[in-house]
Amino acid sequence: MPNLIYLLLRRLRSPLITLILVYAISMTGYVLIPGEDGNHDPYQMTFFDAFYFVSFMGTTIGFGEIPYEFTQPQRYWTLVCLYATVISWLYGIGSLLSVFQDPAFRQQTKLNSFKRSVTNIRQPFYLVCGYGETGRKLVRDLANDGILSVVLDLDEAPINDLEVNNLSISPLWLRADASDAQMLEIAGVNHRCCQGIISLANDDRVNLTIAIVGQLINKNIRLIARADTKEAESNILSFGANEVINPFDTFASRLALALHSPGLHLITEWTTGPRDKKVDEFSLPVKGTWIICGFGNFGRAAYQYLDEVGERLCVISSDRHGRDVPAGTIIGRPTEAATLKKAGIDNAVGIIAGTGNDPDNLSVLMTANELNPNLFRIAHQNEDKNKPIFDAAKLDLVMQRGDLVADKIFALIRTPLLGDFLRIVGRFKPDRANQLASRMIGVMGNDYPELWEISITHEEAPAIIERLLHSQIFIKDILRHPDNRGRNVSAMVLFLKRGEGNVILPDETRRVKPGDRFLMCGNKTANHKLQITTHNSSYLEYVITGKRLPDSWVWRKLMGKKGFAKRFDHS
Amino acid sequence: MKTEKVVFAFFIVLALTLNFGFFLGDFSNVAHHNVYELFAAIVVSLIATVLKFGDRTHLGSVFLATSLVADLQLICAAIVWGINSQSVGVSLDENSLATIISLSGGALLANIISVVLLVSETINLRR
Repeated sequence: MPNLIYLLLRRLRSPLITLILVYAISMTGYVLIPGEDGNHDPYQMTFFDAFYFVSFMGTTIGFGEIPYEFTQPQRYWTLVCLYATVISWLYGIGSLLSVFQDPAFRQQTKLNSFKRSVTNIRQPFYLVCGYGETGRKLVRDLANDGILSVVLDLDEAPINDLEVNNLSISPLWLRADASDAQMLEIAGVNHRCCQGIISLANDDRVNLTIAIVGQLINKNIRLIARADTKEAESNILSFGANEVINPFDTFASRLALALHSPGLHLITEWTTGPRDKKVDEFSLPVKGTWIICGFGNFGRAAYQYLDEVGERLCVISSDRHGRDVPAGTIIGRPTEAATLKKAGIDNAVGIIAGTGNDPDNLSVLMTANELNPNLFRIAHQNEDKNKPIFDAAKLDLVMQRGDLVADKIFALIRTPLLGDFLRIVGRFKPDRANQLASRMIGVMGNDYPELWEISITHEEAPAIIERLLHSQIFIKDILRHPDNRGRNVSAMVLFLKRGEGNVILPDETRRVKPGDRFLMCGNKTANHKLQITTHNSSYLEYVITGKRLPDSWVWRKLMGKKGFAKRFDHS
Repeated sequence: MKTEKVVFAFFIVLALTLNFGFFLGDFSNVAHHNVYELFAAIVVSLIATVLKFGDRTHLGSVFLATSLVADLQLICAAIVWGINSQSVGVSLDENSLATIISLSGGALLANIISVVLLVSETINLRR
């Protein structure tokens, strides 16, 4: 606020001085010019009279000639003063309005109100840097889940969309450079409710800067960043980021998984994929040659991962001077049938259009379809606005960067243990992954998967903490249905983190200890039922021992007396 | 030499001198205290205040504060004068004149502080 007042006063300096001078000169004039009272006796205006008259004249209110009718010389002077005061008022008001409309002033006003609102936040929030396609989707997902986000972006257009959003929790936003340490601080990096920074800038350097600055300001903060290249990824990770998401890598690795270990692919899709639809297994072509068009970030990642799982590949690159293209690369325009034929499209099983241009990608796939209708077609969609055409083209798989990153980040935010879980599961052999996938299908049924965490703490599982003081609990106890302990809720424990130790798929006979964090998988109802068990000690007693404890305090006291309880049981 | 600095110093010193001129004289004698001088002192003091706007340094804030004090005291004096001279034909009584003069004396003190600050700032610059 102080900044604003200083800025305002500084800008208004000259109009104010003008106004003071004009008033002073006019008033002096009136006091000096001889006048007459009603009886034609001489009368000199006092300073009060003069100030009174000039005040209402200058503001064009005009009560008339007060206190007595003016003489001719006074009227001449009035004529001069009239224009002078009115003009100086207009000048003053004009400058005031122009200050209010000044971009610097408005930015300052916005900054002040933003600062205030951030300071007043009393709920957990995430700091989202960059409001592009990914940011937009992520903020919407977070809002739907009841999590507040604070958004920083340098571009005016996307951030103005936020002003008229229809989200259930309206995010706080500011047009500012997120790689500026001061801005990050204002946006609440040090705020005690800040859960983490999510850095989604288009430029890897900006993400790197945000990571460095964020870590320097607040070491304990959780950082999730996006990176488009391998170098940036490892660089950001070295600055203590918790998770770095490379959209191209992520997509390519999933593609490789789908070819190589369908079970693992399903697990990954279920846990980090979209929240509103269940991904089904798609049938990928049998082994054969894949054609990759374009050798940019996307093509490179696809090549690397598919090469690892042992697919035969053929790259088409239009860049004549590309240095690190693999051997056997065909140089030419992939949109032309001749080039595609040269790459052996007639015998290929799939084609990946990964150039940086959406119309090109579509054109490649259309041409390819004409040449070989049995191809499995995968496209890289660069821009969000082209979604309708990609939908209309009915491709087998479309890689959409924004959605991919946003879904994964959202999953990592909701269930932070997921990162560790996926890292371990990623090393599973196909057989074991298939087993896990079928177990997961068993608990989640036909619904889309629900993942959640249970921490054995006073806040999240008070009943368990209370009971652990005098007896022990096994995982299988918790998984019993709180209404009928004979069966289990549709949930399973995917992962247990105890201190620094990780246990993947813990045994159901394992004991629960305070401070444990469980990653659970199941459906919505199961999540709700488990909440009941972990929060309510009488339900917990029931699932463990089969005894139903009375709910009310009075009843519990009565039951506590042995004789009474016996009589009650008999009857 | 900077024109801005000259104008700034000019108004601050002028505010002090005008104020001093008005204050000088017998407490009970209206003839010693010119109403035009009071008016001029108020105007100059207001201008000096506006000139101090927008300086965010510590010294600038103190400058602004002293100036505001002077304005307040002088305007109070003018109001007292205005109210007491409204009944036509009666000149100021001694009591209200004494009030006016003592108020302007307070403003004088504030103006002196202003000038002392100005001088000390200048001396610091020279070193």
